[in-house]
Amino acid sequence: MFKKILIANRGEIAVRIIRACREMGISPVAVYSEADRTGLHVALADEAVAIGPPPAAESYLDMDRIVRAVRETGAEAVHPGYGFLAENADFARRLEKEGIVFIGPRSDALELVGDKVRARQTMEKAGIPVIPGMKSIPSEAAEYAKAARSLGYPVIVKASAGGGGKGMRIVAAEKDLGPALEAGRREAKSAFGDESVYLEKYLEEPRHVEFQVLADNEGQTVHLFERECSIQRRHQKIVEETPSPALDDTLRVKMGETAKKAMRAAGYNNAGTVEFLLDKSRNYYFLEVNARLQVEHPVTELVTGVDLVRRQILAAAGEPLTLSQDSLLQRGHAIECRIYAEDPAANFLPSPGRILFLREPKGPGVRLDSGIYGGWDVPIYYDPILAKLVVWAEDRELACRRMEAALDGYAVLGIHTTIGFLKDVIRHPEFRAGRTNTAFIPKYFDEWAREENTEEALGLALAAAAIDETGLRARPKGGPRRKEETAGPWQTLGRWRMGGAD
Amino acid sequence: MEFEFLVDGIAKKVTVAEKNGRFMIKQGDREFEADARRVSDNELVLVVGGRSYDVLIARDKDRKILFMGGREYVFREPGEEAGRSWTDDHKGPGGGLKIKAPMPGKVIKVLVGEGETVRKNQTLIIVEAMKMENEIKSSIEGSVKKIHVSAGELVDPERLLLELEAKS
Repeated sequence: MFKKILIANRGEIAVRIIRACREMGISPVAVYSEADRTGLHVALADEAVAIGPPPAAESYLDMDRIVRAVRETGAEAVHPGYGFLAENADFARRLEKEGIVFIGPRSDALELVGDKVRARQTMEKAGIPVIPGMKSIPSEAAEYAKAARSLGYPVIVKASAGGGGKGMRIVAAEKDLGPALEAGRREAKSAFGDESVYLEKYLEEPRHVEFQVLADNEGQTVHLFERECSIQRRHQKIVEETPSPALDDTLRVKMGETAKKAMRAAGYNNAGTVEFLLDKSRNYYFLEVNARLQVEHPVTELVTGVDLVRRQILAAAGEPLTLSQDSLLQRGHAIECRIYAEDPAANFLPSPGRILFLREPKGPGVRLDSGIYGGWDVPIYYDPILAKLVVWAEDRELACRRMEAALDGYAVLGIHTTIGFLKDVIRHPEFRAGRTNTAFIPKYFDEWAREENTEEALGLALAAAAIDETGLRARPKGGPRRKEETAGPWQTLGRWRMGGAD
Repeated sequence: MEFEFLVDGIAKKVTVAEKNGRFMIKQGDREFEADARRVSDNELVLVVGGRSYDVLIARDKDRKILFMGGREYVFREPGEEAGRSWTDDHKGPGGGLKIKAPMPGKVIKVLVGEGETVRKNQTLIIVEAMKMENEIKSSIEGSVKKIHVSAGELVDPERLLLELEAKS
């Protein structure tokens, strides 16, 4: 097993991987840009290496600097997390050449599934249903318009190199195609360093259902069931759950087997996810393979009891898979809410800035994968994800209630976040009924605004603000001591002076 | 003691008087008594009429943010301009319009030139933050009076991006 792993990422996912390393007795190494000197992942790692200026292209996406950090620290493997270099086949190949283990699939498998166009071709050949779309990246601009006409509008612009909603644009009519392609290319270039985009038929109101797969280096493959990720804004998931309310056991088994078949067709090893769209008639189509640890992996961990990050590391170290398909079961229900630094009342405008105060929810069945702390300045340079709040309960309704309570207990003060919005999503009767699809947010939450505070509650808050101003002190009579009055080691150190007598 | 806070730009008065660790509160036409205990710099517990409220408090230079029952309350000091800083429609004198950065970020593209006429909803500037492009659009029909930023520049919220002149 590895002794030291370098984590080529930041934020909550770097923290998640650090935790797995600790439990396995592996020493975690962090890397950080100038904008992340104060990052939580830097504080929690054993070693931390500065890798350059704030823009990701000059730090987290810079392979030379990452490889240099691996060499300097003597790490044997690199965990890429998600985003950044996670699905970059050149990076995986570079590490292979340098004798460094990439914790993810082999570069050839990564290359195949990472090229969304080639992946579609491979799946089609293997007999897996795919969404109608372009079969290659055209060299002439006019070919996009031609393809769009033959697919029939609406179509969707997609980045060939990546997912996560980056570079995606829905195009309803030909006149909007040009600007959508341009914006898609620009976003794809900045997110993945590759500006290739292609077109697919846009299915209306489908569900997004994906299957988690684990494979060892010998090709033994299991799936760990589905995740339903239909609740999306700007083509980016914000609520995920498992099991999916849309699947019954028959369909679940069928899709799970298709997912394994897809991964075998791609010669895939390590953890990966096969994404499908499920239409109203319960037909499913291969969408893409996410060749990495998914943001939403915790819901799978909670219902299957399998630690996916640990399994990734074991597989990368060449250990054979010790899980059999029959041994895997779904138990209870898990939901994840993504906490973003965005203002949902202003079209999800990014909201970087200082977190003035933070209180995190706790309780039975509550898991928080977080990359923030009170007093931290959320930088402008990276993805706005702050944390993931995940709950587990015996059934879906109980999980919803647990999530509502946990969101109510989550205070991130000073910046806008998606917390209030997510509460309304979880409370929505259509969500409660399990009737979700990818049009859910635009359909029911188009002009979302924070509910006005009631006069009574406002009066109480004003009273509290005034009492706060009176300078009411803690510990009036034998109460808990106020922070400032608690003697820390620095105040008392004087009595224990080191060195000789004076 | 009397205090005044701005709530969405509207001044609200509160009077508090302490008596043996209990507070008499007057707010609008309501009067009530609160038993208050400070847990830390950022937390108060209030008991009002037998109901308990855990109140978290965060402060920065001009704001006090309270969190109670899963909801946030933002109060500003009176005398401050009403808290509408994150909008683009600051109307200047003479029908002009100052377009400000809605959030901290980087200017990716300036799509118009000085003197150019613009339609309502036309995209003027693209600002990127956190890997998301945000198109800043014109809310009026008119022309571009002055451009204050160029592509590649980092901007703070409230930073003046450009000035428009309404069509007369």
